[in-house]
Amino acid sequence: MNKHIKTSISIALAAGFVAFLFGGWAIVVAGGIAGLGLGYYLFGQSKAQKWQDSIKEALLPTLITAVILLALSIFQNYYVAAAIGKKPIPFNTMLQANATGIGGLIFFSFALTLMHILPLRWQRIAQIVLLTFVVISFPFIDKFTGLRWTAQVIFALIFTILALGLNIVVGFAGLLDLGYAAFFAIGAYTTGILSSPQHGIFLNFWLVIWIAAGVAGIFGLILGAPTLPLRGDYLAIVTLGFGEIVPVLFKNLIKVTIQEPFTCWILPLFRIQTSCITFMQDVDLTAGEKGISPIGRPILPIIGEFQSNNPIPWYFLIIAIILLSVFLIQRLRDSRMGRAWMAIREDELAASQMGIDPVRTKLLAFAMGATFSGFAGAFYGAYVRGIFPSVFDFSVSIIVLCMVILGGLGNINGVIVGGMVIMSADRLFLPALKDFLAGLLKATILPALSSNPTLRAAVEQNANPILYRFLLFGLTLVIMMAVRPEGLIPSAQRKAELRSDEEIAADQAAAEAQA
Amino acid sequence: MLELTDVHTYYGNIHALKGISLKVDDGEIVTLIGSNGAGKTTTLRTIQGLLRPRSGSIKLDDLELHKLPSHQVAAKGIAQSPEGRMIFPRMSVLENLEMGAYARTDKDGIQQDLERVFGLFPRLKERIKQKGGTLSGGEQQMLAMGRALMARPRILLLDEPSMGLSPILVDLIFDTIVAINKEGTTILLVEQNALMALSIAHRGYVIQTGEIILTDNAAKLQENEMVQKSYLGVE
Repeated sequence: MNKHIKTSISIALAAGFVAFLFGGWAIVVAGGIAGLGLGYYLFGQSKAQKWQDSIKEALLPTLITAVILLALSIFQNYYVAAAIGKKPIPFNTMLQANATGIGGLIFFSFALTLMHILPLRWQRIAQIVLLTFVVISFPFIDKFTGLRWTAQVIFALIFTILALGLNIVVGFAGLLDLGYAAFFAIGAYTTGILSSPQHGIFLNFWLVIWIAAGVAGIFGLILGAPTLPLRGDYLAIVTLGFGEIVPVLFKNLIKVTIQEPFTCWILPLFRIQTSCITFMQDVDLTAGEKGISPIGRPILPIIGEFQSNNPIPWYFLIIAIILLSVFLIQRLRDSRMGRAWMAIREDELAASQMGIDPVRTKLLAFAMGATFSGFAGAFYGAYVRGIFPSVFDFSVSIIVLCMVILGGLGNINGVIVGGMVIMSADRLFLPALKDFLAGLLKATILPALSSNPTLRAAVEQNANPILYRFLLFGLTLVIMMAVRPEGLIPSAQRKAELRSDEEIAADQAAAEAQA
Repeated sequence: MLELTDVHTYYGNIHALKGISLKVDDGEIVTLIGSNGAGKTTTLRTIQGLLRPRSGSIKLDDLELHKLPSHQVAAKGIAQSPEGRMIFPRMSVLENLEMGAYARTDKDGIQQDLERVFGLFPRLKERIKQKGGTLSGGEQQMLAMGRALMARPRILLLDEPSMGLSPILVDLIFDTIVAINKEGTTILLVEQNALMALSIAHRGYVIQTGEIILTDNAAKLQENEMVQKSYLGVE
């Protein structure tokens, strides 16, 4: 029971933090997510056989969470909002928002806990129904409440696809790839070149996304072929290099000339005069720093062309891509190839003795991982409408790697959660925190500093958490590694491992007792 | 069946195998005995394709094994229970055994062999869901041997199966080796425990600093004065 209370308090504080930062309608989303989290936890811990027991189990934790969340929300609206110079929302709206948020919290928490009494097959179906409902309703709730989070969530989902792809390489096959952003860039640039005024080619998005994935996959093979016989650290260094080369290459592919080498270089060496055969003369392939823009967008019947000001079709498109990716990646993991990846990760030498070709297996992991980043790249290009070489720098590779590690290496659900957590922190919370701090400082310290303009400017500029995002990511990773190295949602394999350890201990204790 | 002719293997500049020639016939248990650093494990690794001989040939019937990479050697019917066992620590016992049959596609045969392995090592069946890394040393040895058997190999290479095990377990393992051989698997057994190895083998080779210095049938080797002094501890 004690553990339940601890968990509900921490969930309430996390959700309360969201409500606290954003204020107003944010409590609807915060409440819903808190309900899902709490319900998921209670579902895992539940021992109930009858629905009355489930209700009893869920009652206290849900109540605690609801009270804390409500208190923080009200405190925010009437005290904090004023303190940071925001206008509190009117009482009626406040009432509606809180009722919806707390209602969502209670509904999800109870619904998930109650699922434990269902037969196993129905549990799964009920979970899928609930998740579908949440995923489908989110953009509409977002639109209704005016939060405008969907556009940012789409970015988070793009990065989630990247994390899912990288998880194949790092999580399944155990190959440390520090240049994964390169494949993202290749996917995006393929899209850019094939559907923009840059070269006057306008292929359909639905075709381009597959081409982009294919091209990224092929580059995965090309990069992998010479480097994968390397082990561990060496592979990491080489991928790091590749990750640096690709953006630089795209920056400089502005005057491409393709000449036939025999007639142009070799014959002149022997002083034989020929006319040089040129296939392409000074073609601006990527427009360098200027980037490629605008890029073609997906078009569907009824909806028409996807627009920037309406994120909902984009949202459902990326959800569809994620579902497809998860389905494919699950199939890959459970296939013969997936087992070979796992064996390679565990012990490469032993795996080769089982008849597994290590180089081929690793190469395929690389190519598969790259393919999914091609999907992400194509979507990114179409969604943002423009791509620039600076977007695909080293930090992207590192952020995606952080997502995989934070969520739980090798676990698909964990990686999705890790991706959502890190990207929403980056895209939603840090900007909100910045506004919050700015408002707070303006209301408190800054007036007192008006006599010293230099200091005042320094404080004002440095109180910006976005400046410290990499520090914060790094800190998160360090803390995670120290406290919970297996990630937020450890893979089933690890859970089973822990359980069987307990069983051994129990067996041994029993044996000793007998002797 | 398996024949090594004048095999020379190097670790960089170190000449580890100085012309090993040995032969294993169908249905035999052949043992390769020798002290630490004599080249026993190197010989097995060379057969397995993990090390490439600089000269000499390794033939399985008419097939030239020394030209193949190790995963293809495995596919040709050579399975090894390696030194240090090298089981997959985070896979369950069952998953480890299934990995052993990775190169095979005959589902029924795999199932049969699984039953066979569990027949030989009932302990493994009890621990079927446990992770390989959490098994005791003896169980890991059983798992390594069982995993090698799952490939239904033509020749089973066993590298020091007695290493680090209690005397009772050593007896059990050696009884099982005999049982596996009786079921028709040819075995090349590398051992430091020469007494045990010679007691179950048909023929033996004695290796010293990378060279075969003696070969005979096992009973005669047990009688040999030099072998008795150097490897059996008889004064």
